[in-house]
Amino acid sequence: MSVEAREARQPWILLSPALTAVTFLLFVPLLFIVVYSFWLRTATGADQIGFFLDNWQEALTDRFYRDILLNTLKIAAITTLVCALMGYPAAYFIARSKGNKAILLLLLMLPFWISYIIRTMSWINILGVSGALNTFLLWVGVISEPIQMLYNEQSVILGLVHFLLPFMVLNVFVSLDGIDTNLEDAANSLGATRWQAFKQVTLPLSLPGLAAGGLLCFVLGAGTYITPLVLGGATDAMFANLVFEAIITQLNWPLGSALSLMLLAVLGALVLIYNRYLGMAQLMKGLG
Amino acid sequence: MTGKMDNTTRYERLRERYMNGDLDRRSFLGLIGAAGLAYGVQTPFAKFAHAADVSQVRFDGWGGVVSEALRENAFQPFESETGVEVVDGTFGGGDEYLSRVKASQEGEYNIAHLSGVFDYARYHNLGLSTVLNEDNIPNLQYVIPKLIDVFRNVSDGKLSCVPYDYGTTGLAYNRKYISDEEMQEKGARILIDEAHKGKIGGWGDWRTRIWYGALQTDQDPNGATDMEAIWDAIRTHRDLSLKYWGSGAELMSLLAEEEIHATEGWSGRIFALQEQGHDIGYMDPPNGYGWQECMFVIKGSPMEACEELLNFMLAPETAIAVAEGQNYPPALDPNKVDLGDKIPTLPAFDPNGTLDGLTFADPAYWNGNEQEWSKKFGRIQKGY
Amino acid sequence: MAASSGSLGWNLVRVWTLLVYIFMFLPIAVVVLLSFNASQFGAFPMTGFSFRWFVELAQNEAILRAFRTSIVLGLMTALISTTLGVLASLALVRYRVPGANMISTLLIAPILVPEVVLAVALLLFLNFLQINKSFTLLLAGHVIFTLPFVILVVQARLVSIKRDVEEAAMSLGASPRQTFFQITLPLMLPAVLAGALFAFTISFDDITGTLFWKPGGVETVPTQIFAMLRNSISPEINALGTVMIVMTVGLPLLGIAIARRLSSKSGA
Repeated sequence: MSVEAREARQPWILLSPALTAVTFLLFVPLLFIVVYSFWLRTATGADQIGFFLDNWQEALTDRFYRDILLNTLKIAAITTLVCALMGYPAAYFIARSKGNKAILLLLLMLPFWISYIIRTMSWINILGVSGALNTFLLWVGVISEPIQMLYNEQSVILGLVHFLLPFMVLNVFVSLDGIDTNLEDAANSLGATRWQAFKQVTLPLSLPGLAAGGLLCFVLGAGTYITPLVLGGATDAMFANLVFEAIITQLNWPLGSALSLMLLAVLGALVLIYNRYLGMAQLMKGLG
Repeated sequence: MTGKMDNTTRYERLRERYMNGDLDRRSFLGLIGAAGLAYGVQTPFAKFAHAADVSQVRFDGWGGVVSEALRENAFQPFESETGVEVVDGTFGGGDEYLSRVKASQEGEYNIAHLSGVFDYARYHNLGLSTVLNEDNIPNLQYVIPKLIDVFRNVSDGKLSCVPYDYGTTGLAYNRKYISDEEMQEKGARILIDEAHKGKIGGWGDWRTRIWYGALQTDQDPNGATDMEAIWDAIRTHRDLSLKYWGSGAELMSLLAEEEIHATEGWSGRIFALQEQGHDIGYMDPPNGYGWQECMFVIKGSPMEACEELLNFMLAPETAIAVAEGQNYPPALDPNKVDLGDKIPTLPAFDPNGTLDGLTFADPAYWNGNEQEWSKKFGRIQKGY
Repeated sequence: MAASSGSLGWNLVRVWTLLVYIFMFLPIAVVVLLSFNASQFGAFPMTGFSFRWFVELAQNEAILRAFRTSIVLGLMTALISTTLGVLASLALVRYRVPGANMISTLLIAPILVPEVVLAVALLLFLNFLQINKSFTLLLAGHVIFTLPFVILVVQARLVSIKRDVEEAAMSLGASPRQTFFQITLPLMLPAVLAGALFAFTISFDDITGTLFWKPGGVETVPTQIFAMLRNSISPEINALGTVMIVMTVGLPLLGIAIARRLSSKSGA
């Protein structure tokens, strides 16, 4: 076999286990969902097999779904932005600190070890009427009546940020840690200030990590349903709640399938944008 | 009734009789041989699901103290007597569980702790019901007849479940902020009372919301005529409430931590709060929401083992212990069984065993409108 | 970095990071604090100090069993998805693969699908194939939704590893295999470990998919907690959180101590 042929075959050998897994555990099952979305739920609760466009018509034309989808994207975007603002400096600190980076990272992952549900619910103990914050403010005398801080959009975003921040920090850290610090020092020695060196050398080089973290935060944030359920008020539902409700509460799997494919399409478009963006970042890096 | 398990049970029983001296050695061996032959002939034709699940019965319930009480009083003695293992699982709600059953294979799920006749009807209509051999469940004689009849009416006189307990979804209120007099005066309308804005809660369940919507607009909960008025009442309630709760645990903590002052609530949970010393009142308004829970056997289950287990669970001492654990009265008839000291103090308990004071959901009415109403409520809930 | 230690910007970053860590640890502090609360409902001010929730927890065999299941599941998930992820990332970054962008999008797809949908889809599919629920199915499900995390982390790192170093090694006579194990692997080790940690943690914390895929009688820590929560909000759960934190703080410290000892030995 020629070297070139081997060279051409090798990546496929490396890729095949992952691709096989994704194909059979995700794409084939998803095709099932696509087929399902054209079925119809009958009044008795059984699913009628066939080719019906009812679910799609409802999912695409109903204002209700569009509004909640937009609201979901808005919440996910705010969450991602907050995660980036909070997470980047922290990741920078970890990557450039002289202390033990592994310990700092592990500490950040620590909250994951308290189950997501417990973590989310513990905000009730912090922000609730008889929670830590209100108790403290009452004790100090800043307020005379407990403030209602829970069960609104802000508390949902807060819970999401707490859930997703480690994803952001870890991704940014990984790309920052891979950047040779000599580059910054070189820029310094060429007369750039630290800020200029950061802005012109480090920041662009860490963009793939920031983008990866941002994508993760956005996608996971947009797909969540437990956080709005626990920390949201009566009207703070997100799109995944609709999917969950259609599938679990209303037992309308055909409609649920159509709705989830809709969410999938929107997030899929985002990934395509991300890919293009990452491509640009890589290009910049090549130029650097 | 094929499969290894039934034969194993049969063998166990035979062995017991042999040990007790009821059988001589020759007929014991002869019967064993016959059982073995039956096993050998039947097994190749037995379905895959049966062959896989023969040594165990799967039970699914609401978890927590209910499961613990059942495990201790029914499952463990059952296991040591029959050698059949009871695997217990939990679910968060009836709808979630039904979708899991729908996505399962026959025989995977066996017995479920279902809520309400409407739920029974749903399973029956989806073809998930079985026909119990009532001769194998002698303890059924202790159950309140009315509770059995409602299930029979759904499934042509046959039973796919045994009734197990009952309770109500009534009004719970914090006595510090709402007096008993105010409750008597306002009843279900306390939940749409402007005076308590932001301190009202409610279960995010479409049936409960529509039921209370009917009460707030003076309609029959099992036959409302003015749905628009009900939707309006639900909207008003939504705008005045802090949030919809999603589990019994959430209901209890919202009330105990005084996040909300009034909500509807499950009688057993409110009783648990009162037991812990919280000053929470509980009131069943006229036509309040009553429900009865049953132990349902799902299609494809090993019937004999399930029937034996149901009989175990209905034994008065078991049913009473479970009831005291979960704070819901058992389905046992107080005229036939002495229910002890605690059960008569539980909310919703009916000392006459007629349950005339309770209104249950009419399965045809609720299931017939399920698709439209659950969706409509889903929208109203989110502000539409 | 010595020059920067005292600079204003660096100090700002330091304070900011401290605040981020406080934010991350606030719920943990509350969980730990309330696990010693005497009354059932976790309200402040606390009503008394008590170990009763720990005693109840210690008697809860179900949780201990669930804990073992979760650890085994998490470790196997981490092993499999890190292996698959690293191989795939190498192929995507180190070779010119036609349609690489498309392929990496496909591999990241499992996290773009809301987990409920992934759960139902996989379950329906296996139902269609008449495959019963099993531990293997649960493992397969966990692998599929942790794989993207590994790939994202490892790829981001690989991109920044200079090919020059590898080429230098090769030009000095190292075989591709030697180059991989002696140059590439050590360079990407932090990313591989981060990926594995990610996979383990996410598997350990997952609830939605697990609820759908787990066979009867198998409970992981989150599903067990979920089952407990339905019945009552018990500080027993806070006690569990506290125990987990104590363990997870203790274990890495132990690991680091061992690593130090090993490295000091090899150094000598």
